Amino acid sequence: PGDVVLDLSNMTNHTIKLGGGLRQDCDVISVMKAGTLRFSKPNKYWVENSQKRYVPHAEDSVLGIVVDSRSDNFLVDIKGPAIAFLPVLAFEGGTRRNIPKFEIGTLLYVRVVKANPGMNPELSCTDASGKAAEFGALKDGYMFECTTGLSRMLLSSPTCPVLDALGKKLSFEIAVGLNGRVWVNAASPPTTIIVANAIMNSETLSGAQQRIMVEKLLQKIQ
Amino acid sequence: MEQRLANSWRMPINDIKFIETALLSDLRVDGRRPFDHRKLTIKLAKEDGSAEVHLGHTHVMAFVTAQLLRPYRDRPNEGSLSIFTEFSPMADPSFEPARPADAAVELGRVIDRGLRESRAIDTESLCVLSGKLVWSIRVDIHILDNAGNLVDAANIAALASLLTFRRPECSLSGDDGQEVVVHPPEHRDPIPLIIHHLPIAVTFGFFSNENLLVIDPTHQEERVMTGRMTATVNSNGDVCAIQKAGGEGVSQSVIMHCLKLAHTKATDITTKIRDAVEIHNNERALRKIKRHSSSVAVDVCGAVIGLGEQNQLDGSHLENLKLKEEENFMECEATPSGQVQSKDQVSKDFVGGPSSWDPYSECVNSDLLKASLASRGPSVPSKQKDSRRETKPKEPPQEIKTDSSPIDNALTAGQNNEGKTLKDAVKPKHKRKKKVSSNSEN
Repeated sequence: PGDVVLDLSNMTNHTIKLGGGLRQDCDVISVMKAGTLRFSKPNKYWVENSQKRYVPHAEDSVLGIVVDSRSDNFLVDIKGPAIAFLPVLAFEGGTRRNIPKFEIGTLLYVRVVKANPGMNPELSCTDASGKAAEFGALKDGYMFECTTGLSRMLLSSPTCPVLDALGKKLSFEIAVGLNGRVWVNAASPPTTIIVANAIMNSETLSGAQQRIMVEKLLQKIQ
Repeated sequence: MEQRLANSWRMPINDIKFIETALLSDLRVDGRRPFDHRKLTIKLAKEDGSAEVHLGHTHVMAFVTAQLLRPYRDRPNEGSLSIFTEFSPMADPSFEPARPADAAVELGRVIDRGLRESRAIDTESLCVLSGKLVWSIRVDIHILDNAGNLVDAANIAALASLLTFRRPECSLSGDDGQEVVVHPPEHRDPIPLIIHHLPIAVTFGFFSNENLLVIDPTHQEERVMTGRMTATVNSNGDVCAIQKAGGEGVSQSVIMHCLKLAHTKATDITTKIRDAVEIHNNERALRKIKRHSSSVAVDVCGAVIGLGEQNQLDGSHLENLKLKEEENFMECEATPSGQVQSKDQVSKDFVGGPSSWDPYSECVNSDLLKASLASRGPSVPSKQKDSRRETKPKEPPQEIKTDSSPIDNALTAGQNNEGKTLKDAVKPKHKRKKKVSSNSEN
């Protein structure tokens, strides 16, 4: 942070779109967060960083834990600076008559609708068109926390190498929240544990290293 | 209220169920077996008496200091050992800065009991003057990261730091043997504490299912478990302390089983601690050899030095005690020679970092200097070291006043030098030493 990325004084009539992590200070563009600088043609720049804290943004899919329930919304913890509100009616076909009952500690896969600074974020269990689309409570399985960079890597396309290698040998289902939470479920506990540990170890490894690591883990078990 | 809600760490009910289910098949979330410890790393700093322990992700640091104090009334022959814990808020969102939680107090008590009741540290050897002065050992434990099982990690850190701690040697002197002289590390090697055995704490976690038992719980397992027990045993198989504060009841057979397990674990951990301490001691010895070899080189170019002067210098280094030593030494050192000066400089060269720099010794040396200047007259070079005039007793100023003009120049130069660093103070000494030795040869 603080490094100057682009000097604008000698560029005129260009429009540049700045993403997260960059800021314009008079004539220069300087970096606000530590990470890798990414550039996408024709004119988009942003900094990709990875941290343990999550800053809520709209249209993020995250994993939240129910903290409390009020009359008109549930209080859900999404690892951000403020507790988020999930309106009681924000479910597919949700009316006052069929309000779901979540007990404290339920794990939910939700979508962030509004995330303004200073206000509590708002969530929803439907996608933009109102359909359920896999959002809602997650049953069984095991959830662990990771960095935001790792969750982005797990969600990238083409499939992340570690998930690819694990998927070839084991069968499991996985839900990744952009807030640094990952939920894994498999038929037997050992499988779940292997998947969880493989993912936790894979953050700093390259693609080839990830595959080697997964193979070693699987060999140890079998 | 909402801020605190947002900051606490939460566990979903899925995890609670999963951990118990996995334990039914003898599997823990990080891949361990129920009776495995996490990876233990002990780091001992260069300084004596400081240790950093990593037990998996749990990170604890301990530091030992000693002070001379009055003993307790009912135990005039024994020193004292006290443990202080600091639960830093960076370790866990539930730790609050100024308010020690129950767990914090319990941790301190468990470690304290393990060391005190089992008499692991020999407190009688800490007595200096019966009834008046004893060494009081204080162990400060800082929790830096809480990933479960703080008691074990803190215990290991405390033991490792106590094993590497060295207290300054002190001797009795003075007319009636009532005055204590504390020798700084440069003059007499500090001595280690006498530790008879190492009590190792092993924590067990119990779950709602009777047959489930884990050792070294992680913070997730700590949330799920319904009861915990800490057994402090040493490698000889003696049980030093057992702590079971509330929680689920367990049967007697389970407790006996736990004690046996704790014994095996304790032997493992004891070997690890001793290995780490041995490596540290070897490094220490190597460092000392390097220091002494440099001193031998310097000695060769110096003049003949009597050990008697060295001992006089020893006595002059005092700490926190109101004694009359200083004035005595002023009188003794009124008959100096250049040789004594060079020995001072030799010992000064050893003053490695600022932490071992002793202002009192500075005072003595400058006094020596002035006294020697007085006796030598104007032939002595006018370069003066930094002056610690505040601590100077009565005699040298009088001497200085009667000196000739070069000495006055030296004084003013000294006053100008006061703002300089230790390095500047060291450099002129080298020049002076060579000149003095050349003078003495003449």
